[in-house]
Amino acid sequence: MKHPILMPVLSDTMATGRLTQWVKSIGAKVSKGDAVAEVETDKAVLEVEAFSDGYLAGPLAPVDQDIPVKQVIGYLADTAEEAVQTGQTAPADPVPASEVPPVSPPPKPSLPTEPIPAAPAAAEPSPTSPAEPVPAPQAFPGGPSEGHAASPYARALAFDLGIDIAQVAPGPDGKVQAPEIVAALLAPAQPPLNYGPPYRLESPTKSREAVARTMMAASATPSFRVTARLPIRELQHQAASRQVSLTVALSKACALTIQAYPRFNAVWTNEGLALRDRIDVGIAVEAQDSLITPVLRDAGAKSLADLQSVWKDLLNQTKSARLGPKDYSGATFYLSNLGVYPVVRQFDAVVPLGASAILAVAAMDSDGSAQCTLTCDHRVVFGADAAHFLTHLASQLATPDSLW
Amino acid sequence: MDENLFYWQAVNIALDRAMEEDPDVFVMGEDVGLYGGTYRATENLMAKYGELRVRDTPISENSFTGLGVGAAMTGLRPLIEIMTLNFALLALDSIVNLAAKIPFMSGGQFPVPLTIRMPGGVAKQLGAQHSQRLEHTLMNVPGLRIAVPFTPQDAYGQLRQAIRSNDPIIVLEHDLLYFSKGAVDLDAQAPPMHRAIVRRAGTDITCAAYSLMVAEALAAAETLKESGISMEVIDLRSLSPIDWKCLQQSVEKTHHMIIAEEDSGFAGAGAELAATVQERCFYSLDAPVSRVAGMNIPIPFNAALESAAIPHAADIVVAAKKMLLERSQTS
Repeated sequence: MKHPILMPVLSDTMATGRLTQWVKSIGAKVSKGDAVAEVETDKAVLEVEAFSDGYLAGPLAPVDQDIPVKQVIGYLADTAEEAVQTGQTAPADPVPASEVPPVSPPPKPSLPTEPIPAAPAAAEPSPTSPAEPVPAPQAFPGGPSEGHAASPYARALAFDLGIDIAQVAPGPDGKVQAPEIVAALLAPAQPPLNYGPPYRLESPTKSREAVARTMMAASATPSFRVTARLPIRELQHQAASRQVSLTVALSKACALTIQAYPRFNAVWTNEGLALRDRIDVGIAVEAQDSLITPVLRDAGAKSLADLQSVWKDLLNQTKSARLGPKDYSGATFYLSNLGVYPVVRQFDAVVPLGASAILAVAAMDSDGSAQCTLTCDHRVVFGADAAHFLTHLASQLATPDSLW
Repeated sequence: MDENLFYWQAVNIALDRAMEEDPDVFVMGEDVGLYGGTYRATENLMAKYGELRVRDTPISENSFTGLGVGAAMTGLRPLIEIMTLNFALLALDSIVNLAAKIPFMSGGQFPVPLTIRMPGGVAKQLGAQHSQRLEHTLMNVPGLRIAVPFTPQDAYGQLRQAIRSNDPIIVLEHDLLYFSKGAVDLDAQAPPMHRAIVRRAGTDITCAAYSLMVAEALAAAETLKESGISMEVIDLRSLSPIDWKCLQQSVEKTHHMIIAEEDSGFAGAGAELAATVQERCFYSLDAPVSRVAGMNIPIPFNAALESAAIPHAADIVVAAKKMLLERSQTS
């Protein structure tokens, strides 16, 4: 007997997941709790565990495609024979064996790319890639398809609004209905690509998608910037001698400054200002072609040694893409440090949703100071607040002994 | 002047007033005289108007319905009661071949101002042969008009209109509605007999229903409110003709439609509603029209199975949520 394996729900917001690989192949014996596949969610790569002992059986869902949660992605069979027999046939539509999704996992997740000619004949298959292996479209409803079914009302709306319905992303059932048209209407304009050079589309990683989404949301924040030169040589010197990262030391200095100006620990909500009673500093780091913000919880109260060890763990998890939402969400203040690149003289950053401000730290000059730009949510703090903040921070940095 | 009346009382008063007003009106049927009607609809009429105008008949539906057609052709205004619409199957020749055809075949020389009242629908364990609904059969007969009053007010008003009309009209009453109560204004100006009424306004989805199912739809709308769904409930009131304009206006507003019918869905009234709504509102529909209908089986006698064979408010709630909220599970 075969038991379906479902796309797990790994976070509250997860609507779809993308399989990065099957770590077991069809017919392989698995024990309860063994990882059978890896799933990429909004930010992390997590394992799908076998829910009981058995043998992995197909058909397996294709990798690198968005699959709705709770959808069947594969099966566990009670016996090896069953697993191997059923692995060769797709459940609904009989598909040629060559089109059955790959059973052995590719060594690395590869992004599906499809060439698209820039000319209006976008729907025609490109002659340059005739033999490109495409997963059988009917095998799993989550797979790609040529244009989506759309309701008559959605089509009429799209027509009236001048929206190209072929470009509209479908709803959770794979169909385009009125809510999708409205979403497309509210979405930012698409860049015109028709008359430019030919291009191919690369589907973004889940992580890149998440960054794009949160940055779009953050762009609605009314913000302003205040730049100051802050003395960081002494802090850098002391941090190096105690083997603490300058970024961690800066986070602590910021946290102490926020303690002095608690308005910076607030966030604007529709119901009012949310005043938080703990300072959690998020730090922007580069991660696998994307951006992630591991959070130092309670950065004001913890010692620098503690923060450093937490930071080390977070970085390791980031490298192995094992960071979960509890590790990267919920910061009340952010720090972005590009100071390790000596050419960076000055930059500013975008205030993520949920924070009052973000501090952008550029490289240190020969005089021992760095250009620092504080970008603030103007609904929460004002120019004078930012000036006070930077003044206080400057004195913290000039005499960093109080940090230790 | 509003009075809180049982549905059967509203029917009874309508008959009384019609007979008082017009000496050409007479009532005929099984047990309508001495007994006063199975659901008391003709109570006291014989005492008041005598045996000539309130006539008990033998158990011979085709004969006394045919008699009604003949009387109508002479200019009288007969009100025929068929004890349950299940027995109307025996009178189909009189209804379909005579009442519905004679005005047409005589080039209008013989109008048939005949009204036929009959209770029907699934009541409480009456068995498969006594739980039928024949609206689909009668809707398919050109020349007949079909009223399906839900409230006591409509039971009164539509019956009065039917008796005054020169067309053959069927009034389908539901067994379970006779003891429902509602305010009745006996002097109110009734809306046109075929006009549908929005019983509850809503913005997200339209539920069209008739007769007893309007009550289920209204209960469903109340439940759906908790999920943030605003459901408009339309009481069709007439199945022939149908007030398409009312449905169209609603669907153009909500873009979603459910049809609730107690009868089995296959080739039922809902099929006609769904087909015509999509013809008229195709470009306004954001999802396929959904029918919440009875199962395609004879109604079982067993009470649990009987209840399971017909739709209830909960089924309408499920259908509405599926259409609006749980789209991922509909694929």
